[in-house]
Amino acid sequence: MSLYSLRNLSIDIAGKPLVENVSLDVEPGKCTAIIGASGSGKSLTCLTPFGLTPGVTSGEIILDGVNLTRADRYQMRQARSQHTGFVFQQPMTALTPHLSVGSQLQEAARQAGASRLSRHELAQMLARVGLSRTDERLDQFPHRLSGGERQRVMIAAAIAHQPKLLVADEPTSALDASLRAEIMDLLDELRAERNLGLLLVSHDLASVARHADQLVVMEKGRVVETGPAASLIAKPREDYTKRLIAAIPRLEEAAPTLPAVGDMLLTTRDVCIVFPRPGWRRGNIRAVSDVSIEVREGEALAIVGGSGSGKSTLGRAIAGIGAMTSGEIRWRNEILPGRRKRTREKYGHIQPVFQDPIASLNPQWKVIDIIAEPLRNLRPEFSKAERARKAKAVLQEVDLSEDMLGRSPTSLSGGQAQRIAIARAIIAKPELLVLDEATSALDALVGAEILRLLSRLQRENRLSLIFITHDIASARRVCHRIAVLEEGRIVETGAMEDVIASPQQEITQKLIAAS
Amino acid sequence: MLALIIRRLMTAIPTLLLIILASFFLMRLAPGGPFDGERPLDPETQAALQQTYGLDKPLWEQAWLYVSRLAQGDFGPSLVYRDFTVSELVAQGLPISLTLGGLAILLALVIGVTAGLCAAVQAGKMVDKSIMMLATVATALPTFVTGPALALFFGLWMGILPVSGTGNGLSWLVMPVVALALPVAGAIAKLTRAGLATVLQQDHIRTARARGLPETKILFKHGLRPALVPVASYLGPAAAGLLTGAVVVETVFGLPGLGRYFVQGALNRDYPLVLGVVTLYAGLIILFNLFADLIYGWLDPRMREG
Repeated sequence: MSLYSLRNLSIDIAGKPLVENVSLDVEPGKCTAIIGASGSGKSLTCLTPFGLTPGVTSGEIILDGVNLTRADRYQMRQARSQHTGFVFQQPMTALTPHLSVGSQLQEAARQAGASRLSRHELAQMLARVGLSRTDERLDQFPHRLSGGERQRVMIAAAIAHQPKLLVADEPTSALDASLRAEIMDLLDELRAERNLGLLLVSHDLASVARHADQLVVMEKGRVVETGPAASLIAKPREDYTKRLIAAIPRLEEAAPTLPAVGDMLLTTRDVCIVFPRPGWRRGNIRAVSDVSIEVREGEALAIVGGSGSGKSTLGRAIAGIGAMTSGEIRWRNEILPGRRKRTREKYGHIQPVFQDPIASLNPQWKVIDIIAEPLRNLRPEFSKAERARKAKAVLQEVDLSEDMLGRSPTSLSGGQAQRIAIARAIIAKPELLVLDEATSALDALVGAEILRLLSRLQRENRLSLIFITHDIASARRVCHRIAVLEEGRIVETGAMEDVIASPQQEITQKLIAAS
Repeated sequence: MLALIIRRLMTAIPTLLLIILASFFLMRLAPGGPFDGERPLDPETQAALQQTYGLDKPLWEQAWLYVSRLAQGDFGPSLVYRDFTVSELVAQGLPISLTLGGLAILLALVIGVTAGLCAAVQAGKMVDKSIMMLATVATALPTFVTGPALALFFGLWMGILPVSGTGNGLSWLVMPVVALALPVAGAIAKLTRAGLATVLQQDHIRTARARGLPETKILFKHGLRPALVPVASYLGPAAAGLLTGAVVVETVFGLPGLGRYFVQGALNRDYPLVLGVVTLYAGLIILFNLFADLIYGWLDPRMREG
């Protein structure tokens, strides 16, 4: 008998059906993974049966032989506290900020009614999930820990009461690429050690292929396809699954043919960026040290690194929207001045695109004003009608229809918003785009479309790109060369294919393994 | 934390000095002087008085003298209450004002946080709406309306509380404290409700819920503290407002607090008295803001870093 079963589960929120007829099983000691694009209802399917979303369920929910379908709030709470542990996507916010790690762990351990644990026992729990200096950690507040450490604390807390089922909702999406594999391996070990059933939500196909036994593919609230993970990924039956798998960049895929490159466009020499430490503390943080890069016409350079490696800070300095402490940036062999001294015309050469497409568009403006704004500033000679005409033309370039112009950013999907952001960036005909994690916040299908759009712009407009990312496989789809950043320094650089074939540095190997 | 306190006290000194000097010169800009009565004094007496109190010296010298005496703890003599020094007057009024203000803040916190909690838990329902409406009314009504209204109802009609003065027992405190606390309580209720509404949507509350904790425990252990951060930032200015706002209440209920000296001192151009009270208020406000910062750190440890 399965540990956990859903039979014909449907979920409504405020009368709107969002999930329909989902059935799945989790066996003890095995992992069942749900994959799908964002909005496919995978998180709802995981959390609503336990009363953790405002959704209303119908259908059958059976946990450890107990039917939870018509459970009241008390029974639901029992089901959560006795048999189930949860790990969420955002380790940064999932822990209570004003309670120490130790007290949250103690609370988690006692949730099923166990007696108070000693400090030593709590420290052992932290050691089990791979944390060092456990005694010190018990007294720390969550904000002192890094994202990876917090996620380990979350896992320790989720299994502290010896549950039978662990529900992990995208446990690694918010983590650094190099940490993801470690967290997934940890979950695997714990699963084997405690005969724990794991229900995993993920959009990371590579890790699902490695760690899951059963796979459930969801689209728009329905199950498209289920089956054993390995065979399903190797031989997807449904069209949607095929598209989903093809959309996810993988290093095994054939190298793309990239357009030829031209003259030298941008060079930086020994760029250093130093910030004073925040708050009252003394000293400086060297975010970027002695970075020298070059980008030619039509060339795309990937700047790759873990979080905190300084890659965004560097990108901001190049685009002229962030400070630079020393070093120089040249544009066609002419010195490009820093943030405040840069002329309008020079700003026009380089335009940025950011990670969170919806947050980077002003919610009070209409799309047409957002797209046309660079023209107003960089090309003041254009009339209003001319700006509108150009805005319409550029919308076509990013494959959006004209009726977008009157809409407000809040009504857009992530993919549409990122196209608008790209349209805004290219309307003033820049020669270089600085893309800061431009596909990271998008789900696989949409991210792949944005990558296709970028590669078309690269070909047709001879646009150069600086593609800042942690995901080498995505970068490979558009980039000629790669520079790997660690602690603000370039530790490895070269042609994309060469670096992937024989990475020299440990960080590069880690990033490649995670892609 | 000790470092924060020390640093704050260090910056407090120049801040205080600036406030004192600004009030000193601003007050002298106002026309009139301490010895202008209904009948003008004859010039000789006037000059003699001016000389006794050092008012004939150049303004900057007077300022310097005042500050250097203040540094030794001497607030100077009162120019109008001629038998008293400013320190003596303050020593009379301060305990009453501090008792009023302190009790009012406490009462406002208790009422405000409780009401805000009830409203947040019942968000969108009748209870929530009525509490929020009452809170709006409480913040909108000025103390010179609530004060006399309370006095009329409980003092004159029902005759259960004294209308004026500091009688025996503590019953004289009730109405002034309530009148002072009401608007602050209303604001705190609104801030608490808004804070909780935000915090209860956050991820860590879902984590707590996932542990199967009872809702009350989630609310008090995981939700309330971060929700009170806006309340803490309001407390500093609110305490300042209670001290200065107490002028009205002290007048309405005929209490010999600091507020009375403040107003009369200003009207009579009793320079040392006004400066003394201003210095005291400024010092208290700086102190309250320091408290608020310390409370921040307890409410949300992330703020201890910055």
